[in-house]
Amino acid sequence: MSSSHDPMLPGLHLANTGSYPRIGDSLELQILRRATASLDRGERNTADLLDAENEMVRRAIADQLKAGLEVITDGQIRWYDPISHLAAKLANVKIAGLQRYFDTNFYFRQPVISGTPKRSEPLVAKDFSFARNALGHLPTPKNLAGKLSIKPVLTGPYTLAKFSLSAHTGNGAVDPFSSLEERTIAYADALAAEIVELAQIGASVIQIDEPAIIKYPEDWKIFEKAVTKLIAARDKSAAEGSRPELALYVYFHDPAPLYEKLVTVPVDIIGLDFTYNPKLIDLVASAGSPKPLGLGLVDGRNTKLEDIGEVARQIDRLLPKIQGGRAYLNSSCGLEYLPRDRAFAKLELLAKIRAAVVA
Amino acid sequence: MSREKLEHLGLQLPLFPTTSVGSFPKPDYLARARADFAKGKIAADQLRDLERKATTFWIETQEKLGVDVLVDGEMYRGDMVAYFAERLPGFTEGGLVRAYGNRYYHKPIITGDVSWPGPVTVDSWQFAQGLTKKPVKGMLTGAYTIMDWSFNEHYPDRRSTAMALAAVIRKEVEALIAAGCKIIQIDEPALSVRPEELPIALEAMEHTTKDLNAYFITHACYGEFEHIYPGMLDLAVDNFDLEMSNSDLDLLEIFRRHPFTKDISFGVVDVHSHKMEGREAVRRRVESALTILPKEKVWIDPDCGLKTRTVDEAIEKLRLCVEVAKSFRV
Repeated sequence: MSSSHDPMLPGLHLANTGSYPRIGDSLELQILRRATASLDRGERNTADLLDAENEMVRRAIADQLKAGLEVITDGQIRWYDPISHLAAKLANVKIAGLQRYFDTNFYFRQPVISGTPKRSEPLVAKDFSFARNALGHLPTPKNLAGKLSIKPVLTGPYTLAKFSLSAHTGNGAVDPFSSLEERTIAYADALAAEIVELAQIGASVIQIDEPAIIKYPEDWKIFEKAVTKLIAARDKSAAEGSRPELALYVYFHDPAPLYEKLVTVPVDIIGLDFTYNPKLIDLVASAGSPKPLGLGLVDGRNTKLEDIGEVARQIDRLLPKIQGGRAYLNSSCGLEYLPRDRAFAKLELLAKIRAAVVA
Repeated sequence: MSREKLEHLGLQLPLFPTTSVGSFPKPDYLARARADFAKGKIAADQLRDLERKATTFWIETQEKLGVDVLVDGEMYRGDMVAYFAERLPGFTEGGLVRAYGNRYYHKPIITGDVSWPGPVTVDSWQFAQGLTKKPVKGMLTGAYTIMDWSFNEHYPDRRSTAMALAAVIRKEVEALIAAGCKIIQIDEPALSVRPEELPIALEAMEHTTKDLNAYFITHACYGEFEHIYPGMLDLAVDNFDLEMSNSDLDLLEIFRRHPFTKDISFGVVDVHSHKMEGREAVRRRVESALTILPKEKVWIDPDCGLKTRTVDEAIEKLRLCVEVAKSFRV
């Protein structure tokens, strides 16, 4: 297809959904594992770990650039997991034992809230700055000059709250954080402050991951209330002259039952996982979308490479039904669930699919 | 019913039989030997000798502690799915993926028809059983979990993958039974992760154990069992081995609403903590169990495999299980 590669303009843009493998089979791709293990043994210090993280972030960005993506992430290389990485940085949150993350064979550490979770330091803003700087130091293809963006990713307030616990005070006092709604709103306040800072330092798009809401749709009202705070943060930034787009991504479950509600959420982009329900394509093609979509048509959980022609035909059906004709082709979820060689193959596949799209 | 089955198999077990979930920590010499073997520094025979030395240690340890139904401790295994995938035709070793924190594993890829290459675990089981007169469990991973924890590039869907694997695991079950194994544990830790797929897990286990003469146990953990209960009781096994203490016995409330109809291996000590629970705390867990479950159906064991604990911690946690079980027999 021929269209602009500027990811804010109409057309089909290539994006990373979030994470990217931090390890590969070669020794040079195992520096982070070795640095972490050495740190645990007391043989190295946190500066060594930071060096290893930085190097793996640079490599993750380089892979995305090489594959031809326009919307690039830092691969969430520094994240212990999607929940505790953010929650651990908030005051009044402690991190407890391991729990399975959705239907994956990946485990996260569960936050325990003992008071209002408060943001006292940037959650991902410094990482965003580092990634943008790293991208700037890589040679950019001429046709993409000035059209690449680093997309910071935040796990959303509802998903953070759903997987957090309230500490039992044991003194008989009423514990506000035993309420899912209270936890969600408290996290939303912390994330809203992060959105403002990200906007101030130049993030043009911020991805909010809320996989839990499509698994637990009964909590929609709580979710909606929390998202309102994030939208207010975006609009506050807009009033100050730097309006980022908010991209709400859902995955790890079938989004079809909530599709009509999702597209009415006043964010700028909705990202959908198409791997759980083959009929979702029919639904979106039939109902259309009033806003840009992230099309998770390439499975981020399985190594098998999709048929290029088949996915291209699916996009040909969907793209004309998306208002404004803007969409993002990305994997169904972050790529950390795949071995590194297969993750890169999936990135390359995105570009091959786009080349085969006719619409 | 299951007591009758055990007796029919010639197994006389006391009330509150004690067992363990499967894995024990590998002694330092074996951990070093496995690393050396991976680097090509020692031969397979040398590694096998050390695995057998460690297996002997654990069988003797369980005997001394008074455990009733023994395990070989899985000294020869790394990951519970990769171990089988490395030995079954149809699998290709995948690259490293992260499990949590700084832990990575080679996630297998199904790239062709899976098939049974001949006995995979029988030799290890026979060695362990040869060291003791007490029953040693055969230890397998279930078809649904192997499917869920592997990439699939070959079969058209998850059900057909699970059923192909079930046919393979059934042959291994038959081989264990032919060798004399009477209690076989088929682990399904992925059982609850996709509640909508419970019918697939049930069908696969039915195909694995149907009409075979052994007492079957399954272990499941880290699950949201409230989403698959009571449907999970249709799994074609005699005994569910469940981590109860890690979840603060939450499952008992679910059992209160709908009776638990199988035998249960009731996890009474937390395997994720270095901390040693007090004997009275563990006794209270069993007392709570007995408010709902008939004593004839309750086995006692740790929550999960003990491989992440130190050798000394694992022994003490097992000792606690045995002491508490014995205190309820009087």
